[in-house]
Amino acid sequence: MTATTSVAQSPRRRFWGRMFKNPLGIFSMIWFVILLIAWVWPELLATHDPLQQDVTLQRLFEGPSRDHWLGTDQLGRDWYSRVIFGAGYAFRSILIAMTIAVVVGVPLGLFSGWRGGRVDRAIMWVNDVLFSLPIILLAMAVIIILTPSLDNAMIGVGIAMSTRFTRLTRAVTLQEKEELYVDSARITGLSTRTILARYIAPNLLSSLIVQAAIISGAIILIGATLSFLGIGASLDDPDWGVMLNRSRELFRVEGVWQVVPPGMALILTVLSFNLLGDAIRDAIGRDSSNNALSITKRTAVTAATTPHATGPDVVLSVRDMDVEFPDQSGRVSQILQGVSLEVRAGETLGVVGESGSGKSMTMLSALGLTPAPGRMTRGSVQFGGRDVTNLTESEWQAIRGKDVGVIFQEPIAVLNPAIKVGRQIAEPLMIHQNLSKKAALQRAGELLAEVRVPDPVRRLDQYPHEFSGGMAQRAGIAMALACEPKLLIADEPSTALDVTVQGQILDLMAEVQERHKMAIILITHDLGVIAEAADRVLVMYGGQVVETASADDIFFRPKHPYSRALLDTMPQSHDGHGELPVIRGMVPSATAWPQGCRFAPRCDFVTDACTNDMPALETIGGDLVRCVRHGEIQLVPEEEMQA
Amino acid sequence: MAKYIGFRLLATIPLMFAIAVVTFLIAVAMEANGSIAIQVCGEGATPECVSAVEENLGLDDPIPVRFIQWLGDVVSGDLGASLLDENASVAGLIGERIWASVSIVGFSLVIGITIGMVMGIMAAIRPGGLLDRSLSIVAASVIAAPGFIIGMMLSWGIAIELGWLDPIGYTPLSESVTGWFTSILLPSIALGMPTIAIVQRQLRSSMANALQSRYVLAARARGVGRAPLIRRHALPNAMVPTITVFGFRAAAAIGLTTAVEIVFGIRGMGELLVTAILNRNVTVLQGGMLIVGLVVAVVNLLVDISYGFLNPKVRLAK
Repeated sequence: MTATTSVAQSPRRRFWGRMFKNPLGIFSMIWFVILLIAWVWPELLATHDPLQQDVTLQRLFEGPSRDHWLGTDQLGRDWYSRVIFGAGYAFRSILIAMTIAVVVGVPLGLFSGWRGGRVDRAIMWVNDVLFSLPIILLAMAVIIILTPSLDNAMIGVGIAMSTRFTRLTRAVTLQEKEELYVDSARITGLSTRTILARYIAPNLLSSLIVQAAIISGAIILIGATLSFLGIGASLDDPDWGVMLNRSRELFRVEGVWQVVPPGMALILTVLSFNLLGDAIRDAIGRDSSNNALSITKRTAVTAATTPHATGPDVVLSVRDMDVEFPDQSGRVSQILQGVSLEVRAGETLGVVGESGSGKSMTMLSALGLTPAPGRMTRGSVQFGGRDVTNLTESEWQAIRGKDVGVIFQEPIAVLNPAIKVGRQIAEPLMIHQNLSKKAALQRAGELLAEVRVPDPVRRLDQYPHEFSGGMAQRAGIAMALACEPKLLIADEPSTALDVTVQGQILDLMAEVQERHKMAIILITHDLGVIAEAADRVLVMYGGQVVETASADDIFFRPKHPYSRALLDTMPQSHDGHGELPVIRGMVPSATAWPQGCRFAPRCDFVTDACTNDMPALETIGGDLVRCVRHGEIQLVPEEEMQA
Repeated sequence: MAKYIGFRLLATIPLMFAIAVVTFLIAVAMEANGSIAIQVCGEGATPECVSAVEENLGLDDPIPVRFIQWLGDVVSGDLGASLLDENASVAGLIGERIWASVSIVGFSLVIGITIGMVMGIMAAIRPGGLLDRSLSIVAASVIAAPGFIIGMMLSWGIAIELGWLDPIGYTPLSESVTGWFTSILLPSIALGMPTIAIVQRQLRSSMANALQSRYVLAARARGVGRAPLIRRHALPNAMVPTITVFGFRAAAAIGLTTAVEIVFGIRGMGELLVTAILNRNVTVLQGGMLIVGLVVAVVNLLVDISYGFLNPKVRLAK
C-alpha cells in the first residue's frame, strides 16, 4: 500500500488547530472570554457601580479619562462599567431565546423530516409562514400579549428563531434519511431512537452549532432593537439597547460619543458571533468556500528540455509538462510530472488510465485551463507549430472554440442552466466567425441536425434541463465542432451514456474527423472505446505517461505492467468465470506519491529496484515505456503470443 | 410565465389567511391575561372607558363568530377603531403613517440590491484580491451593525456636523418630491447598508461558485471572454441564491425600519406600533401587524416571481 508519511490527526485536534490558526476565530474567542467574565463576574472587570450617578455638572457627558475609561453618560454614570454590566443582559437574551428556539425547533424538524408526507408538508407550511414574517413583528405580538419586558420579547424571538432550527434540522434529517446507511440500519432492525442518536444527531450537531452562533448574533441585535424602541429591557437597566435609547435623545446635542460605548459593544459582540460561526464552519471543513480563482495568475514556466514534434501535420505538441497544486496549508503537490504528447491531423490519440491518473488535467493544462489554484510550472505547449505556453487569457480566447473544441465528461453540467441551448451553441459562432445572432442560431440548428438531434429548431429554444444526457452530449459535440476545429479533445465523451448512444457518438466523431482531417484526443478509462476509435494510445498513471504505443501494440503487446493490468480489467478479456479482476489497491493521491515507480505498490512484478528510483521514460522502437523491468518481464500470456 | 405568476398569486392567498388568523389571535391571547379593558383603561378604570373598549372589541360573541366578523370587516377595509379614541379609525392611522415606512424600506432595498450587486461582482472578479478582502471585512462589520446605530452615526455626521440634510422629519411625496427624497435618504441608507453587505456577501460567494462551475469552464473552452463570462454565464445563476437572501432581508427590513424611523423622528409604522404596544391598544396593533404582514406576503410574491425570471427550471415547471 501507499506509504503515508503523516500520522492522521484526531478530528477534534484538527478542529481546534484550525480554529487557532484563523485570526478572526481567535479574535472572536477572545471577545467571548471577556464577555463571559463580564457576565459571570462583572465586578471583576467594572471600575464603577453601573448605576452610581454623579450629577455634578462637570461629571456629565465626560469624555474618556483615567477615572472613566469610556467617559460618563447624562447622569454621570461610568460608560465602561455600564457596558460591562450590559453583557449579562445580552447573554440572558441569548439563553432564553436560544433555549426556546432549540427546544421547539429541533424536535419539530426531526419529527417533520422523519415522518415525511402530509404531516411534513403541513408543519413546513406553518413554519414557512412564521419564517417569512419579520422577527421584530412576532416579538411585538408576544410583548403585547404578555406585557413588555426583555424576557417576554425573547420568548417571541425564540419562537421566531425556532423556525430556522426546524428548517435546518429537517433538511439534515431528510438528507441523512436518504443515505444508504440509514436505510440499511433500519432494515437490520435498529430502533428509530438509535438511528436518530447514532446517525442523525452527529451530523446535525455541527450544522446546529454553526447556525446557533450566527443566530445568537441575530438575537442580540433584535433584543437591542426592541430595547432601543422602549419595549424590551426596562429603562433603568444597564442594557446596551436601553443605553442606546437614552443616547438617541442626547447625541444630537452632546455629541456622537454617547452612542459609541454601547454601540461598539453591541456591534463587536454580534460581529464575533458571526465570525465564530464562520470560523467553526471552516474548521469543520464543511462548505468552506475557498477563495480559488477561476482564472489562474500567469507565473513563470520553466522551459521544456525535450524538443517538440515537428512537421506540418502536428496539431498539438506538449513537452515535459509539470502541473502543481498548493493545498490549504501551502504544501505543493505535483499533479502532473513531465507529461509529453503529440497528435497529428486526422489521427486519434487515445489517453487511458484510471480516474486520478491525470488525463483530464493534462488536456485542461494544455489549453491554459488549469483549474486554480493549480498552475503549470514547467513545460512547453505548441499548437499548430505556434508556442502557446505563455498566452494570456485573451490570446487563448481566440484559439479555444475556434481551433480546438472540447467535449466534456458530464454533458448536462457543462451546459449553463440559465441559457437556452441554441444560444450556447451559437456562442462560438458569434465569437469566432462574427455571425449575427440570427445567423448563428440558424447555423446552430443545422449543427444540431448534423449530430442527429431530432426536431433541432424546437430544441434550440429549450433549456438544458429539458435535455436528456444523450441529447445534451450531442449538443456538446455540436458546440465543440461548431467552428470546425483542427483539434477535438473529447474527455470521456460517452461514459455517462448508454451503450447504443455511446456507439453513435463515437461514429459521429469519426465521421467529422474524416471530413475535416481533424485531430482527436480521446480521453477514456474504457479500453473498449480505445479499441474502437484510437490509432495511438498514451497510458497515464500517477500524473505521468507510463507507455505510448499503437493501439494494436497496447492490446496485443503491452510493455508496462499497468497497461497489462488495465487490459485484464476489460470485460471482453475475461473468460466469464469468477469475478472480473480489478487492479488491487488504489490510485495513490498526489499528496503522497510512492517512492520510485508510482505503480510499484500495486504491481505484480515489483522488485527492490522499482521502489528505489523513479524509472525514466525510455524509447523502445518508437514507443515509450516507463518501467525498469520492461525487457525482463513477460506481460503477454504464452497462448496469446502463439495465437 | 403568466401561468407561473398566476400560480404564485394563488399560493399567496393561504399565506395571507394565515397572517390574518395569527393577527386575530393576538387579541384572544391578550384576554387570557385578564380584561383588555382594564389593561387599556388602567386599574381605576371608569365604567365608560371599560364599556367603550368592550363594545369596540365585541367581546360578548364566541371566538369563531368574532373571527368571521373581524375578517369580514378587514376584507371590506375596516380595521376597527383605536381603543383609546373611538373617532380614530385604525385604517386612517395606518394610512397616515405607512407611506413614510414604505418609502424608507423600498428605497433601502433599491440601494441594497443595486450597490450590493455592483460590489459583489467587483469582489468576485478578483477573489482574494485587495478589493475583495477589504470589502469582505467592511461587509462583515456592517452586517453586525443595526440600522439604528448606523442611522445615529449618519444623522450626527451628515445632518448635524456637515448640515447637509435635516436630521429629523418626513416630507410626504405629495408635498414635495425633493423634500420627500431628502427626508428618506439618510434613513434609507441606514437601513440599506446592512442590506448592501448581505447582498454583496451572498453574491460574491455564489459568483465564486458559479465561476468554478463546469459550465463556466466549458464556456471558456468555447472562447467566451471574461466580461460575457461574468455577465451572461455566472451572474444569472449566482443571482438565484442572492434573491433568496434578499427576500429574507426585505422581510427583516420591514421590521427593523421601526427603529430607524424613530432615530430620524419620522412618524411611521414604527412609532404607531410601539405606542400601541405601550398603551396596549390592541386594535391598532392588530391592524398594523396585519398590514405589515400583507406587505411581507407581497414581497415574498415578488421574490418568487423573480425566481421565475432567473431560473427557467422554476418557470417552466407547471
